[in-house]
Amino acid sequence: MPENSRLSKDAFLFMAASAGIDVSGEHGEDLFAIVQATLAGLDSLKDIDVTDTEPDMSFAPEGA
Amino acid sequence: MDALEICYMSAGQLSGLIKSKEISPVEVIDAHLARIEATEPVLNSFITLLPDEARAAARRAEADIQAGKYRGPLHGIPVGLKDLFNTAGVRTTSGSKIFDNFIPTEDCTVAIKFREAGSILLGKLNMHQFAYGPTGENPDYGHMHNPWDPELVTGGSSGGSGSATVAGQCTITTGSDTGGSVRIPAALCGIVGLKPTYGLVSRFGLTPLSWSLDHPGPMVRTVEDAALAMNVMAGHDPKDVASAKVDVPDYTTALTGDVRGLRIGVPEEYFDAPLDPQVGQAVRDALDLLESMGAVVKPVSFPMFKDAFPISTAILMAEASAYHRDLLTKDAEQLYPPIRLRLEAGLFISSADYLRAQQARTLFDRQARQLLEDVDLLAGPTEPVTAPQLLATRVQAGETSMGTTPALTQYTRPYNITGMPAISIPCGFSEAGLPFALQLAGRPFDELTVLRAAHAYEQATDWHKRRPPI
Repeated sequence: MPENSRLSKDAFLFMAASAGIDVSGEHGEDLFAIVQATLAGLDSLKDIDVTDTEPDMSFAPEGA
Repeated sequence: MDALEICYMSAGQLSGLIKSKEISPVEVIDAHLARIEATEPVLNSFITLLPDEARAAARRAEADIQAGKYRGPLHGIPVGLKDLFNTAGVRTTSGSKIFDNFIPTEDCTVAIKFREAGSILLGKLNMHQFAYGPTGENPDYGHMHNPWDPELVTGGSSGGSGSATVAGQCTITTGSDTGGSVRIPAALCGIVGLKPTYGLVSRFGLTPLSWSLDHPGPMVRTVEDAALAMNVMAGHDPKDVASAKVDVPDYTTALTGDVRGLRIGVPEEYFDAPLDPQVGQAVRDALDLLESMGAVVKPVSFPMFKDAFPISTAILMAEASAYHRDLLTKDAEQLYPPIRLRLEAGLFISSADYLRAQQARTLFDRQARQLLEDVDLLAGPTEPVTAPQLLATRVQAGETSMGTTPALTQYTRPYNITGMPAISIPCGFSEAGLPFALQLAGRPFDELTVLRAAHAYEQATDWHKRRPPI
């Protein structure tokens, strides 16, 4: 598990229940690990200065 | 004519023979069906084969051509569609047994275009389940196998398209590319894969993975065939909300063989990333060759390249999980466990993280476009490694051991984020006989320049003429 865990186990279980995900048994442990790894992998997004930058939501290419 | 030679002819070659009636579409289809029968037990490229339908279509094509109703270069050409392209009356599984009995009532736009061009559908091609992976694993319909070595992956997610094309099972196949799923199997199988500009080829009737990253594109053995396929596939489609209203040129006009004066930028960061030295050398040799042919090759800097993975991950996982959410509540147990984990994990990405990734995407796109103000193309490896072993979770890229997914998508994700056209073409072989690939990317809707450079390089080399040992 990453050292700077972004999500506690309790928060994980609460969110999983809210989303209707079965986290019983080994699958739940596997999912907790991949969630932690995924969120840790997104940490570097915080290092990008996005001040005054709008999200590229529509992503319409030129000509669209 | 020798059946195997027919199977290894390009669409460009076959079309001339079909038009002049030197060869019949029936002969072409029979040759390909025989090739499929001989190789499919090893490769497992197809989920659904359509031999009777293909033979019937070939007889119709033959009759039409004999009657003077020749439709164009793809008339009578064998085509395979990745099994997430909806086909009316033919099951479309998206690589999952959950949809084993799903028979669409309507064709996707790409299928309609190929049919109207007179192409003949041989079948629906195997794929990484729901297109959510870069290797070509599929426990439901069997894993795909690389024709250069069946113990290795084809790459994915359009793995069946890669193996079918390089093994001569199909002349033209299609893929969909969300993080590299056209270019990865093209690179690992040693064929040409073009991810067109976002919005240029309709997504209508394709099972989405990530709405804002999905790009359908052709997978073929020659750059000329990529141009011929694009002449059919490209164009505005009102049924796709992201479809671009742009003029579609004749892409074969790009095939001049001339790269004099073309400016090619090589991001230095691509060679600082984990990379097998053999691959790196092959790509540098390819760039040297282009330079010797008159292109101006120069280093450029793309600092945000390092941010491609988190930007793409946040967007792709969040969008994929949103699209497949119902599956997770109804059919989670039937999903391939790694796919289930990824889809469920995507539900934990917050809206704030998703939107921050989209903000970063704006900056990423801006930086890539600025680079393309000074050069016409960006070049580098398509893959940092050759095809990994089936089910390997880690690969060795130079001195770095890394996860298979981040490795295989390292160089492909940037152009899904920007939506720019990018092509993968063979540029050499390893000591073990496995293909290397060069990736060339251009400005939005400038497929002509991408194809021009790729074709010139291809014509100056013989890599595309090699055949796998199967």
